[in-house]
Amino acid sequence: MDVKKPASQENLNGDESESQISHLALDIGGSLIKVVYFLRSNGSGGSVDDSGKKSDPVLEGRLHFAKFETSKINDCLEFIRSKNLHLAGFRHHDASASDKTLIKATGGGAYKFADLIKEKLGVVLDKEDEMDCLVTGANFLLKAVHQEAFTYVDGQKEFVQIDQNDLYPYLLVNIGSGVSMIKVDGDGKFERISGTSVGGGTFWGLGRLLTNCKSFDELLELSHQGNNRVIDMLVGDIYGGSEYSKIGLTSTNIASSFGKAISDNKELKDYKPEDVARSLLRMISNNIGQISYLNALRFGLKRIFFAGFFIRGHAYTMDTISVAVSFWSKGDAKAMFLRHEGFLGALGAFVSYENHGLGGLKTHQSVQQFAVSKTYAGKKICCLVNEDLNDNESIDFGVAFAA
Amino acid sequence: MAGLSEGQTPVLEIDGTLNSNDGNSRGNKGKDKAVVLVGEENSNSNIDTQNQQGGSGGGSEREMPSMHRSGSRPQLDLSKAAIQGNFEVKDPTILLPNQSDDISHLALDIGGSLIKLVYFSRHEDQSIDDKRKKTIKERLGISNGNRRSYPILGGRLHFVKFETTKISECLDFIHSKQLHRGGVDSCHWNPGVQANDNAVIKATGGGAYKFADLFKERLGVSLDKEDEMDCLVAGANFLLKAIRHEAFTHMEGQKEFVQIDTNDLFPYLLVNIGSGVSMIKVDGDGKFERVSGTNVGGGTYWGLGRLLTKCKSFDELLELSQRGDNGTIDMLVGDIYGGMDYSKIGLSASTIASSFGKTISDKKELADYRPEDISLSLLRMISYNIGQISYLNALRFGLKRIFFGGFFIRGHAYTMDTISFAVQFWSKGEAQAMFLRHEGFLGALGAFMSYEKHGLDDLMVHQLVERFPMGAPYTGGRIHGPPLGDLNEKASEARVCLLLLEMPLPLNLFQISWMEKFVLKGTEITAPVPMAPSGTTGLGGFEVPLSKGSTLRSDASALNVGVLHLVPTLEVFPLLADPKMYEPNTIDLADRSELEYWFTVLSEHLPDLVDKAVASEGGTDDAKRRGDAFARAFSAHLARLMEEPAAYGKLGLANLLELREECLREFQFLDAYRSIKQRENEASLAVLPDLLVELDSMSEVDDFDAFKERMLGSGDNKPRPHKRALLFVDNSGADVVLGMLPLARELLRRGTEVVLVANSLPALNDITAMELPDIVAEAAKHCDILRRAAEAGGLLVDAMINTLDGSKENSPSVPLMVVENGCGSPCIDLRQVSSELAAAAKNADLIILEGMGRALHTNFNARFKCEALKLAMVKNQRLAEKLIKGNIYDCVCRYEPAR
Repeated sequence: MDVKKPASQENLNGDESESQISHLALDIGGSLIKVVYFLRSNGSGGSVDDSGKKSDPVLEGRLHFAKFETSKINDCLEFIRSKNLHLAGFRHHDASASDKTLIKATGGGAYKFADLIKEKLGVVLDKEDEMDCLVTGANFLLKAVHQEAFTYVDGQKEFVQIDQNDLYPYLLVNIGSGVSMIKVDGDGKFERISGTSVGGGTFWGLGRLLTNCKSFDELLELSHQGNNRVIDMLVGDIYGGSEYSKIGLTSTNIASSFGKAISDNKELKDYKPEDVARSLLRMISNNIGQISYLNALRFGLKRIFFAGFFIRGHAYTMDTISVAVSFWSKGDAKAMFLRHEGFLGALGAFVSYENHGLGGLKTHQSVQQFAVSKTYAGKKICCLVNEDLNDNESIDFGVAFAA
Repeated sequence: MAGLSEGQTPVLEIDGTLNSNDGNSRGNKGKDKAVVLVGEENSNSNIDTQNQQGGSGGGSEREMPSMHRSGSRPQLDLSKAAIQGNFEVKDPTILLPNQSDDISHLALDIGGSLIKLVYFSRHEDQSIDDKRKKTIKERLGISNGNRRSYPILGGRLHFVKFETTKISECLDFIHSKQLHRGGVDSCHWNPGVQANDNAVIKATGGGAYKFADLFKERLGVSLDKEDEMDCLVAGANFLLKAIRHEAFTHMEGQKEFVQIDTNDLFPYLLVNIGSGVSMIKVDGDGKFERVSGTNVGGGTYWGLGRLLTKCKSFDELLELSQRGDNGTIDMLVGDIYGGMDYSKIGLSASTIASSFGKTISDKKELADYRPEDISLSLLRMISYNIGQISYLNALRFGLKRIFFGGFFIRGHAYTMDTISFAVQFWSKGEAQAMFLRHEGFLGALGAFMSYEKHGLDDLMVHQLVERFPMGAPYTGGRIHGPPLGDLNEKASEARVCLLLLEMPLPLNLFQISWMEKFVLKGTEITAPVPMAPSGTTGLGGFEVPLSKGSTLRSDASALNVGVLHLVPTLEVFPLLADPKMYEPNTIDLADRSELEYWFTVLSEHLPDLVDKAVASEGGTDDAKRRGDAFARAFSAHLARLMEEPAAYGKLGLANLLELREECLREFQFLDAYRSIKQRENEASLAVLPDLLVELDSMSEVDDFDAFKERMLGSGDNKPRPHKRALLFVDNSGADVVLGMLPLARELLRRGTEVVLVANSLPALNDITAMELPDIVAEAAKHCDILRRAAEAGGLLVDAMINTLDGSKENSPSVPLMVVENGCGSPCIDLRQVSSELAAAAKNADLIILEGMGRALHTNFNARFKCEALKLAMVKNQRLAEKLIKGNIYDCVCRYEPAR
C-alpha cells in the first residue's frame, strides 16, 4: 500500500480504532457488487520490531473478497448483515453524529443503492471516486502483492515480476460493464484516456438475448465448449481456405464476427448456444485487446494490465485478449492480468479509509503472504466459477496503525 | 476532340462518323476503308472519314489536352465495319469483324450482398440515327460541317448495382447491353456471330471466384480477378482525385462537401467496412498497406441483427434502427450514475457505458425488446467501435484524413453520423470522418481502372462532368409516386418510365426487352429505367432497388450517383486568379431559403418552358409526350433536391440551372428556344445597321467610370489597347446582335482581338457557338470592321469567296473569333471550359462576362489574372437585393483591374 504519509494526527481515539478495526468496502457495479473486508486474525496485536523500539501497532488479519450480482443486492446485504460487517465501518468521531456508520463504496451503484443500504443496514455509503479507487487498488496490488501480475499465453500463465521502481506509466484496462482505459503515472496520478462501450455488459447482455443462460458465469462456461467457426466468417471462408497472407491474415483469423449468421436458412435456434457464446466472447475480447494496444501505443505505455469482472480469471477470456494484443502488436506487447482483477475498485475504496483519519492502514512490508484458505463467503450465494486462479482468496495482511 | 478517343486509332463517334486522329501518322488503321453506315436514310448518313475535328477551333490554336493516351487504349477497330443485315430496318447492327476480342469497358465488384457494375460508354448524347437530331444539325449548320462538334464527347462512366441474390438480373443487364462485348455502341450483339468467346472482364470481390463459372456459362466471358484491396485503393484514389466534391463529412445529419487538394491527398486512411473492416494506409497510387482492421463490421451488424430480430435483409435491419431507442438496451452513463453525468472523465449521462448492458435483466427475454431498439443499439455499438479503431490507427500513422467506405455505410445517414461522432469524440474534435459519394463503387471502379489502357487514370477533376439522368431522382430508393404496376396505368407518376415504351424512339431491341423485363416485374421494381437516347447505353445512375417500399432513406440520406462524363478536352480556365479557391456559384443552395426560393422560381417557370420546348419540336404528339415526361422528371429532380439538397453533390444555383438543361436534352429537346432565338436574331439583325450608324455618330461608347477611363484614358493619357478580349456572350437576339457585337466592334476598332465565347450546347435562349458564326456573317454584311475581323478570324471562310471585295484592304484586321465554352448551361463553371477557350484565353488581357447566368449567378465573385468586366441586368428582385442591394432591372457593371 505504500502509504508514506506520516502517522495520522487526527485525534485517533485508541479504543475506537481497536474496536473498529475490521473494515468493509464495496464496489457496486452495474452487474456485480464486489466486497472487500478485513478481519483480524486472532491474537494478533501490536508488535515490537527487532530493534526493540516500539513501532506502530500492527494488526494481523486477512483481507477477504466476495462478489454478488448486483441484481441480487439483497443477498449481498444479507451477507454483510450476517457477518456484521456493516458495524465495522468508520464511525464518525463527532459524537453528535451518533451512530452514523460510514462505509466506503465506489461504483455507480454507490449512488443508486445508497438509500436501500441506508434503509437495510442503517449505514451511510461514503462514495469514493471510481477511477481513483481502481487505480489505487491496482497500484496497491502491483506494489504490495507478489505475483499479482501474470501473462497468459497458450493456456499458460506466467507470473511477471514487476520492478516497483519501473512500474509507471502503465495502462490499466478495467473491463466492467463497459471498459475504461486508464493511463497511470503514479499514485493518484492517472488519466482516463479511452474506453469502449463493448465490454462485459455487452457480453452478458447480448449473451442473454442470444442464449438462455441464466447467469454471466453460465455464459462463460458455455463459451468454453463452443466453436466460433460456425458463427464467425473466417478469412478462409472468404478466400477459399487459402491464407490471405499478403495482408498478414491467416485463414483462421476472424474476418467478420457473426458474419456467418446472416444465412437465410438458419434461425437463432439453429445455432448452438455454446458457439454463439464463444463467438461473442472472442469478438469482445479481441476488440478490447485491440483498442487497448492501440492506446498503449499511442501513449508509449509498455505494460497493459487487464482487470475487471469480465475476465474473472477465465482462461479463455484472457487467452483471447492476449492473442489480440499479441496479434495487433505483432508480438511486441503482452497482455497482463491481475490475480485480484475483479476487486480493484473495492480494494481502492478500502484503502481510502486511511484518508479519513483511521490512521495509516499499512501493509507490513514483510507480511504479505497468500492465504491458502478461500473464503466461502461469496461462493454459496453467487456460484462463482473459480478456476485455478481463485480470485476469491484472501490475503494476509499486517495492518499497522500509527501510534 | 472526341474525348477519350482522341489519339491514334479510329473511333466510332457519336455521330457515327469515323475519326482518325489529329494528323498523327500512327493513326493509319482508320484509313482502312472503314464504312459505318448509320441512320435509316442512307442519303443522309454521315459517312465521313475526314478528320472532322482539326479545324474546329475557330481560328484559335487548338491545343490537345495534356493527357494524351498512347494508342494502346482499347479502341474499337472499325476496319471493315459494315452494316449487318437489312439496311431498311432501324438500328442496323454494325458488324465490326476486326474488333479485337479483349475489349471490355465493364468491370464488376461482386460482393456478398451487392454486385456493383462500372461500365464505360464511349459516345455522346446525340446520335446520328436520330432523325430529329439530324434536322437540327442541319438547321444549326453543322451538317455542312467543318464546324465544331459537341463538346461532351469522350465517354461516360456508369454505375449500377444489383443484389447478389439477383445475379441473373445482373447477367441479363450485361447481356442486354452487350457490355461483356464492349457495349451496344461498339458492336451489336448478333446471335449469328459468335464474336468473342475469349472475352475477359475484370472483376473483384469474393463473388468473382464464386460466380466465375456462371459468367462463363451465361455470357461466355471469363472473369479476370483483381485483388480486392488493390481495387479499393485504386478506386478511392481515382474518385478523390478526379471528382470534385467526392468527399464529404456528415455530422448530425448535415453533409458538407470537402474540397481536397489532390496534391495533398496522401497519405490517408481508407476504412472499408464490408463484412469485416479493413483499414488501409494509402500513400499513393498503388502504394498502400493494410495496417489494421476489425472483425466487428457490417457482417457483425447483419449477423447479430438477424439472430436478434426477424429482419430479412440488411436494409430492413438498418431501417428498423431509424425508429429505435437504444436507451432501452444500452447501459448509459446516466443509468450507472443515477442520471448524473460523470463529467470528471468527460462522459455525459447519455454516453453509452456498456452496449447491451441493460439486456442482462432477468425479467426480460429477447421477445420483450423492440427489434428497433436492438438494431439501433447494434448499429451504434459497431459504428462507434469502427470509428474509434479507425481514429486510433490514423493517429498511430499520422494520417490526417480518414475516409470510410463499404457496404455497411450505404449512404445511411445515421451510420455516418455515428461513425463521425465516434471519430470526433475520440479525437476530441481534431479529426473528422469523411465519406465518399461513390463509396459503394470503390472496388468496381478499381477493377475498371485495372484495365491497363483505358486512359482514365490521369483524368483531372476538370475533365469530368457528373450528370444525373432522369432516373437519378429515383435511385435513392424512394419513389416519387406509386410503384410501377400496370403497364397501361397512364396516370402513374412513374409513367416517365413507361413512356419509354410508348415513345416511338428507335430503341435498341435488347434495351427494350430488358426494360420490359423490369417493368413487368411490377411493384418489385421501384426505380424506373432511365430512358437512354437511342443508340446509346446511357443508362446510368440506375440502382436496383433493394427493398420494397423501403423508407430506409426517407431521411433523404442517400446520395445519388450520376453518370460521369469524361470530357478530356475540358480545362481549367487559365485566367482564374486562384483556381483552387474558385467557386462558380454566387448563390449557395445549401441555404434552405435560397433553395426554396429558386425551387419555386423554377417550378413556376416549368410549364412555360415545356410549352416552348414542345413548340420547338413542332408541337407533335411525340413532343408533347416528351414534354410531359420532361416536366415530371425535372419536377422529380427538384423534389429530390428539396428533400436532400446534397443528393447530387454540392448544390449551387448554377448546378440547378444546368440540371434543367440536361433534363431537356435527356428528353431530346435539343434546343427549346430554337425558333425564338431565330426570330429574335433576325429582328435584331434588321436594326443592326441603324444602330451601328448611331454608335458611330457618338463620341464615346456608353460606358462608365473606371472602365471608361481604362478604355478611353483620361486627359492626354492615351490608353494602351487590349491585346485580346474574351467576350462571354449570353442571349440571342438583341443581346448579342445589338449589344455584344457593337462592343466587339469597338474593341476591334481599337486593335483588340476579340474572341466571342459562346455556349457549346443550347441553354435557354443563349446563343451557341454554332449559331454565332452565321450571325457574325450576317452582321458582317453591314459592317466592314466586323467583316474584315471575321475574315481574319476564319469565320467567313465560305463567305470570303463570295465577297467580291475580299482583297480590298491590305492592312489586315485583328481577328474576330468564336470559340465554344464547353458548357450547355446558362451559367459557366470556369474550372471546366473547352480546350479551345483555354487556348484562346492564353493571350487575353480582358474578360467581359455578360448576362445574369455568367456574371451574376456564377462568377460574380470570381477573380481573374487580367482585367474583367461583368455586365448584367438583374432580372430578379431577390438577387438584386442580395448582390447589389438594388432593384430588379438594375444594371450591374463591375470592372476589376488585373490581379
